[in-house]
Amino acid sequence: MTSPATTSPPSGRARLAPALLWAAGAALVAYAFVAGGYLVTVLGFAALYAIFVTGLNFFMGYTGQVSFGQNAFAAIGGYTSAVLTTAYNWPVFAAMPLGIGAAALLALAIGYPTLRLRGHYLAMATLALGMIVQEIAVQWDRVTMGYTGIAAIPPLGAFGRELPNERAQLAALLAALALAVWVASRLKHSRLGHALAAIAGSEDAARALGIDVARYKLIAFVVAAVYAAFAGSMFAHFVGFVSPEVFGLHMVVLGFTMLYVGGIGTVYGPLVGALIISLLPETFRGFKEFQDLAYGAALIVILIYAPKGLASLARLWTRRGAAPDAAAAATAGTSRGDAGAAR
Amino acid sequence: MSLLSIEGVTQRFGGLTAVDSVSCAIAPGTISAIIGPNGAGKTTLFNLISGFQKPVAGRIVFDGHDITGMAPHRIAARGLVRTFQLVQLFPDLTAAQNVEAGCHLRGSGGLWAALARTASARRELADAAATARELLAFVGLQARADLPATALTYGQQRLLEVARALAAAPRLLLLDEPAAGLNALETDHLARTLDAIVARGVTVLLIEHDMSLVMRVASRIVVLDFGRRIAEGTPEEVQRDPAVLEAYLGGVDLAAGGGSAHA
Amino acid sequence: MPETTFLIQTLVSGVGTGFIYGLIGIGFCVIYNASGIVNFAQGVFVMLGGMITHALLTRAGLPLPLAALVAVVAVALIGVVIERAVVRPLWRRNATMFVMILATLAAQIVIERLTLLAAGDQPKTLPGFSDAAPLRIGGIAIGVQLLWIAGVSLLLVGALALFFARTRTGRAMRACAINREAAALMGIPVARMLGFSFALSAGLGAVAGILITPTQYTAFNVGVPFAISGFIAAILGGFGSALGAFAGGIMLGVAQALAIVLFGAGFKNVAALSILLLFLLARPAGLFGKAH
Repeated sequence: MTSPATTSPPSGRARLAPALLWAAGAALVAYAFVAGGYLVTVLGFAALYAIFVTGLNFFMGYTGQVSFGQNAFAAIGGYTSAVLTTAYNWPVFAAMPLGIGAAALLALAIGYPTLRLRGHYLAMATLALGMIVQEIAVQWDRVTMGYTGIAAIPPLGAFGRELPNERAQLAALLAALALAVWVASRLKHSRLGHALAAIAGSEDAARALGIDVARYKLIAFVVAAVYAAFAGSMFAHFVGFVSPEVFGLHMVVLGFTMLYVGGIGTVYGPLVGALIISLLPETFRGFKEFQDLAYGAALIVILIYAPKGLASLARLWTRRGAAPDAAAAATAGTSRGDAGAAR
Repeated sequence: MSLLSIEGVTQRFGGLTAVDSVSCAIAPGTISAIIGPNGAGKTTLFNLISGFQKPVAGRIVFDGHDITGMAPHRIAARGLVRTFQLVQLFPDLTAAQNVEAGCHLRGSGGLWAALARTASARRELADAAATARELLAFVGLQARADLPATALTYGQQRLLEVARALAAAPRLLLLDEPAAGLNALETDHLARTLDAIVARGVTVLLIEHDMSLVMRVASRIVVLDFGRRIAEGTPEEVQRDPAVLEAYLGGVDLAAGGGSAHA
Repeated sequence: MPETTFLIQTLVSGVGTGFIYGLIGIGFCVIYNASGIVNFAQGVFVMLGGMITHALLTRAGLPLPLAALVAVVAVALIGVVIERAVVRPLWRRNATMFVMILATLAAQIVIERLTLLAAGDQPKTLPGFSDAAPLRIGGIAIGVQLLWIAGVSLLLVGALALFFARTRTGRAMRACAINREAAALMGIPVARMLGFSFALSAGLGAVAGILITPTQYTAFNVGVPFAISGFIAAILGGFGSALGAFAGGIMLGVAQALAIVLFGAGFKNVAALSILLLFLLARPAGLFGKAH
């Protein structure tokens, strides 16, 4: 018999873990502000990736769809910011919305034909999209400077003033992240969010209940693209440099690993995943080939053994009853049906 | 006037004619049933009515509007809602959340309403939550509201699917084998629930193998065999129909119930 | 008319590349038919075919035919390893389509990175299979490697057709494609078919990779673009039909060659994606399938 423990109010022990996690996160951020230096950079990356992964989570976790091309939208956000602020001296807050708008339009154009079809079409179309945007970033060197990339991108700022130092930049990033998470949480707990959850659960059932599946998938895809472009643009201003390599497939794999480590489908999972993976010392220093190898392998292991993320492992550990994963749950109806018929 | 009228509807898969020029009419405020041996084309007919498949010929008229080949979500929006032979719940959600997600057609808020969390968006959410509680109580699942859908027994999952379909505010509810896998007690509960659904003003059309249930609740029965309508009438008429007796393996006594010949 | 000659020359080389895309596309279909899985690690087979042959040729000093043969067998085995280690645990659990895609893509990246560590990032090429002078018809030169590509591809497609029509295993795989549950009930070992389909598909990919490498180059990261092209070929062919995928591959190869003439080499993948999107809009069921 399935124990009702999975949704009953969390016991003291279960409530303690998230509280400790939040406290640790807050302490870490506070320490970074005091100490400055490398930790500020690491947390900045974590915040950028948390925004990116929150968008990924919106499309994959909430809606149950797959996109391998979120790096394309990040690249559009990043390059639009980079080009407009360096070559044309646009202010940051004019360049950023333009990049985000462009990414949203592209998401509409790609999503409209492919989202009506079975999932693997979208998966492959988005994978191709990521490569193509990267290729354009390399080939269109008059604008993008090719492999060299664009350097000396102005930092975040407004009304002609740049934020004075890295700590202020980090504060801005954390505010952006808070906004991103707040928006995701609002959207999740709404009629729209309910429709997305229905689509993730069963497209046929969603249709039968009057949900325009293609339309809602498209909305989710565009929202995810907006998140990616936002993260890409913030990246350009935080790091001051973009190149085709920054927005490669590497970014997608890293994003997926963070999403699965933190727990797919939860509001705070992307935060946890981005923080953990960013803090692992090798993440943002050298040895890219080992990184991708490690993240790819870790991703496979998590997919096989902890499909709901490391959070589900923790649940297995604190509770005796196994948490049923999504796939087992999806087939449970059928197997129970057999059991029922046999009665 | 009939709520649903099916006029010469035909569907083919390759060389096989799954539904062969079937016609029938469903009167409002009734429970009707489609019965027939396995492979008779019952579920295919449901798929055609609910828009999940497009017929190659024929016309389906719901409430005076031609809905032939219309997208499923548009048909649902007109008030024709279906359930599935294999339960299709949202496995990651609780029972209550399943029904709340089913309330989609009762609201209208989109992206902006969700972002701004307007007064109407908040009201919609509260209404959906209230509707979910009410419908779960209606089917007798109020004590299970906060359990994950997958933690419910099979019979409860069936009832949850009915509650979720009711959340879409249907005028015609298509139920595909609602009693499959239920025990006698649960079937009895289902029968009373069906009567209560009609009392709410919802017309019901069901596919069912459980003859005792069909004979008990349905006022009209359509019998399909090899995609053709071989009989239509009241339970009494259908039970006496020689073509029906022939189709059911050379005459199992339908009145004896059980329907075990095809289970 | 030098323009016409150039155009025909371009088309000929496009057909050659198209054969390769076709073989990769068939690889997608073989696995999809046996299991309903779209294997996003398909590109590694193509990459490994070329890379392993190169390693055997230069490091172990094997003659080319032997090196190629060993490479095909090795890649087929790697296909089985991926199936056992990554795909089967998820398949058993009835994992969703997107989890399967993600896992196979992750496998692609892991193997890509292992290859990078083992062989470095320098592009490598293979010698042509024979050094006869190109065939000249009018002003058009047809490289001998192109003839090899055409010959081997057509031979393989013919052999596959015979395999699916005549052999027990081939028929069993077709039964799986039509209805896996029914096939299982008939006593066909569906799980073993899954492993076999990965071996077959990997072998096909390896052959494609070995055939194409002498005309261009191979490196640790050529897999994904090849996989995308092969996938587009499979879609054009209606996803599931091996012959359709082959025809789709040729069509894609020609279209890409034309795009290179018109817009330059940098945009050949842009052209491929555009073709894909146009097709998905107009004929989601492929060249030969019935559009819904």
